[in-house]
This record gives sequence, structure tokens and C-alpha cells, in this order.
Amino acid sequence: MKKASTALITQIRKNDYTDISMGFNLCNLIFYLCNQSLLSELSLNNELAVLFGPSGSGKSATLNMLSGIVKPENGIVHINSRDVFNSEKDINLPMRDRRIGYLFQDYALFPHMTVFENIAYGISNLPQEKIKNKVDELLNLMRLEGLENRYPSQISGGQKQRTALARTLAAEPDILLLDEPFSALDYQVREKLRQELIAIHERFPITTLFVTHDMEEAFMLGERIAVINNGRLEQFGTREDVFYKPKTRNVAKFIGARNIFHGVVKSVDENNILIESDDIGNIVVDIKESRGQGGCSLGAGSSEEIIQTLEPLNPRTLEPLNIGQNVCFGIRPEEVMIIRPDRPLDKRVQDNLIHGIVTGIMAKGTGHAIYFTAKHNLVLKGFNSGKDINLKIDIPNIAFRRLALSKNKEITVCLKKECIWVIKD
Amino acid sequence: MIDLFPLYLTLKVSITATFFTVFIGLGIAWLMARNDFFGKSILDAIIMQPLVIPPTVLGYYLLVLLGRGSFFGRFLEDGFGITLVFTWKAAVIAAFVSSLPLFVKPARAAIEGVDKNLENAARLLGKTEFEVLKTITIPLAWRGIAAGSVMAFARATGEFGATLMVAGNIPQVTQTMPIAIYDAVQMGNTSMANILVAIVTIFSISVIYFVNWFTRGRY
Repeated sequence: MKKASTALITQIRKNDYTDISMGFNLCNLIFYLCNQSLLSELSLNNELAVLFGPSGSGKSATLNMLSGIVKPENGIVHINSRDVFNSEKDINLPMRDRRIGYLFQDYALFPHMTVFENIAYGISNLPQEKIKNKVDELLNLMRLEGLENRYPSQISGGQKQRTALARTLAAEPDILLLDEPFSALDYQVREKLRQELIAIHERFPITTLFVTHDMEEAFMLGERIAVINNGRLEQFGTREDVFYKPKTRNVAKFIGARNIFHGVVKSVDENNILIESDDIGNIVVDIKESRGQGGCSLGAGSSEEIIQTLEPLNPRTLEPLNIGQNVCFGIRPEEVMIIRPDRPLDKRVQDNLIHGIVTGIMAKGTGHAIYFTAKHNLVLKGFNSGKDINLKIDIPNIAFRRLALSKNKEITVCLKKECIWVIKD
Repeated sequence: MIDLFPLYLTLKVSITATFFTVFIGLGIAWLMARNDFFGKSILDAIIMQPLVIPPTVLGYYLLVLLGRGSFFGRFLEDGFGITLVFTWKAAVIAAFVSSLPLFVKPARAAIEGVDKNLENAARLLGKTEFEVLKTITIPLAWRGIAAGSVMAFARATGEFGATLMVAGNIPQVTQTMPIAIYDAVQMGNTSMANILVAIVTIFSISVIYFVNWFTRGRY
């Protein structure tokens, strides 16, 4: 592993690393880390990115290595055009010189200091008067006025969180690392703090890496999302990319993808691939129009290119699929369309039609989940296969009422060909 | 009129010994709480010895180490003209060694009880190791450190066996309270013994009561 990772770094440094830091000069955080089984490579610039993965996937370990709490075996941490860690050049800056703002999961407020003293703690080399002005400004921004003389034990969880963020910002860090900062808070407080965080990031646009295991939070906050598992980066891309085009089965699993099927590629042309699946028969997938492919406004062009240079290390979705290749494919529950029988078929939805019955309905408050089984695999177009299939379909309440769905009702659904993601099995 | 010299000497010896215990002990406690190094558990075992080893054995070691027969003792005497054995300084050293574990144990526990994340947070806010120790670790561990200091002081006032071995029982020179009590009982001076015992008892109970009361409050 160590040998492999050293080779990796050499390769990165020869090819991409110098290109990135010289050619684009935009990134203010690049890191490649190798520590036993942990390996990630990411580059961020002035954005709010999310590091997303299940617990035990190495999220906290990554932050610990970035901040210097733990020393990686190998790797490079490059912040604002300086190496704070570089195993090859034997650079390992102490934590105090890294200029990293770190928001701990448990806030790590100093219990023996007031809110004011906590926020002022990291401000150095300023006269008393200026420190007060700066802290007052942050107190105001974080809606903490009137609490400056309280101790951390005397304020609420949300207030602690904002105090900790104010303390971090007061030290004017180059980058901000947030370790599951909202996980200990009530749902409503969390919701509000997320919005505030986005607002604060707009005001202080410093590169921010937000760690979470909460999918909803990841997608609400992350302009780009890095999905890690077992210490390895599975995918790094815009939220649309990650959501609609998972690159690995693990990513598909973590983003809550249901409706996963297996099949074999039957034919390929420049627009479509045809997959034959024992699970649901023949399925056409549009590889050109597929969602998430450049269809996302977030993530600037330059950073897109950076991804391109970095990503050959990762398993790719749309690397050429050969005929006979075993694949795994799926569709998000909210992308499955229920065909309205009273209307003529739109041209866009003529592919991948499946006829079956509703086997279950679950009200979720914000919408309904429909469980669907292709009863006789009665296929309107193109395929004919053996087993029953089960699809989960999420529809908004308004559509649910209009379709007048009920259990055992016969319906036809369409798996839109541009909404299907495909990965090698 | 009772002789107040043993009381005076005991306070002088104990305060001096506690001063060294706190400074040296704090360094040892921090080293053991926050660092891993070769021989850490052996160092721990040696420092804790005065709690279990017979005081006479401890006194014997000190006598051998500080006396004229040893290299160290000769070095001090020939080089600097310092004689330790059978002076009040020897009593300070005996009190220091035997009170050290009573300080190091609670101080180490208190430092270990400080959340490492708080120290890391301070480091990430640009503070040096010394600043972290001064502004975070010690302020948060100070109850344990203070309790340890009081315990060490109390132990120093009660030091008997090792002191007798290394400083002797010289009235008006090295005769501390515990030794004066022993002496008074040996001489059959019961009223003197009673007064001294009463003073020591009240002091010792007050110390433990104070330590208990003091360590109860937490942030």
C-alpha cells in the first residue's frame, strides 16, 4: 500500500499537481493523503464543498490529517499555494502555523472563558480596542449580542455552534473545516444553521470543507460533494453529478438510490446503450443527454477541468462500455414517471415502459412513495423477461391525488432513458 | 510555654518542599499525561514508590545518595561546600520526595481530564504549546493541581521516617513536629505530646475537608 501510494503521489506530482497549482492557480486547498488504507485526493477553491460518507468511512480521519492533529504517512496538503504538509519534502507545519479554521463536532468552546473571550482567543497582534470592534462585529453577525459575558455552559446548542464559528472566523483562516457541526442539534435549529452557514459563506467566501454523514445536509450545502468510503474517494463532483450519476455502487447506496438492477450491455451507439437485464428486461439508456452531464450550473468551468485531470484515478461511469459488459444501473425514485392513461404518450417517454400494479403506498408527509411490481411483465415495447420487478417511485402529493392511485391499481411507468445511471458491475 | 520551633520548622520545610513539588511535579504530570515515551511506566512506578516503600528505606536511600560516601554528596560538599545531611535542607528533600506522588497523581489525572480537542482548538487558533498550557490546560486542570498541592503540603508536614533518617532529630535544628511528638512521647512529656497531636490532627482533618469541598465543583 505504501509503495503504491508513493507511486501515486509521484505520478500526481509529475502530471496534475504542478499543472493545477501553476496552470489554474485557483485552488486554495489540494490534498492527497495516504495513511494505511486512507487515500483521498481533492482540490477545492473558494467554495463550500461537502465530504460525505457513512460513519467510519474516514471523514474525521481526513480532517485530522489536514489540520495536523494526525500525521499522514504520505501525501501533500497544499493550502493557498504553500505546502503545510509534504511527505516528500519533509514538510509538516505545526497546527498553529497552518491557518486552518476547524469547527469541532462538540464545538470545543473553552469552558472557562466567556463567549467574548472565546471569540477573541484566536485574534493576535491587535490593540485591545480593535479586538473589541472585531469581536463585536462577529457577535452581531452571528446574532450573539448580549451573550458576550455568558459562559458556554449558559448558552444553547445553536448559540454554542455560532460562537465556535465566530471564534474560528475571528482568526481569519485560509480554509475552514467543519466536522459534522450540526449533528448534535434539533432538526429545526439545524435547518436554520444550514441557511446561515450558506449566508456566512457568501459573506466570507473561504474554501470550506463540510463533513457530514447526512445525505440531505450534504446536498443542501455542497456545491460539490466528495463521497468517501473506507478512506477512499469514491466520487467528487457537483451535487447533480453525485446525485444523478453515481460512479460506484457505494455512492449509489449512500445517496439512497433504490431501484438498482443488473444487466449486460447488448449494443452501443453514440447516443444510446441497450442493456439486457434479467431483472427488468431490455432498457435503453441515453448516454448523451444523461442528467448531470454538464447540465449543472454549479461548479465553475475551471474547476470542472480540474476534476477531469484528477479523476482518472477513480472508477469512471462512462468509460467506454463494451458489448457483453456486466453493468449495474438504476434510477432515482423521484425520476420514475407514472404514465397518465388519459393522455397520449409523449415522444420523450416512449422508451422503457413497464406495466404493472401498485403493491404499496406510503404517505411521507412531503410526498408519497409508491411500490410497484411489474405483474406479468407485460411489456408495451421492446422487451420480455422473467421475474417480477419492484420499483420504488416517489411522487409529489399533487400528482398522487391527480393520478388517484390505490393499491392493486394497474399502471404503466416509464424509466426515462436520460435519467438512468450505469456503472460497471 | 511550649517550644514553637518544631511548628516553625515544619512550616518552613513543608512550604519549601511544596514549592518544588508543584513546579517539578507539574512538569512530570504534564509529561506523563500528554506524552508517550520510553520508560514512562517505569518512571511512574519510581515516582509512586514513596507511597508504598517503608519510609526508613526511602530515608536510607536518601542518606546514601546525599551523604559524604556517595559521588553526588561529595560533589556537593567539595564543589560547593554544601552539606545536606542532618540539616533542614535534608528535611526539605525528604518531604519533597515523599509528597511528590501525592501531587503528581491528581495533577496528572486533572491534565488527562482536559479535553484534547480544546487544546487542539487552541493550537489551530495559532497558539504555541506553552500558550496552550498556560491558557487552556492549567486553567482547566487547576482544581486538581490545587488539590494535589494541598495534599502534598499536608504530606510534607507529616513526613517522619525519611526525615528522621536523613535529617536526624536535632532540637532547634532539624526537629520537625512529627519528630517532636515522637521525642515528647519517648521523654514521657505527655502534655507536650497532646498539644502537638491536637494541632496536627486539626490541621490534617481541615486539609482533607478542604480538598473534598474544593474538588467538588466543576465547570
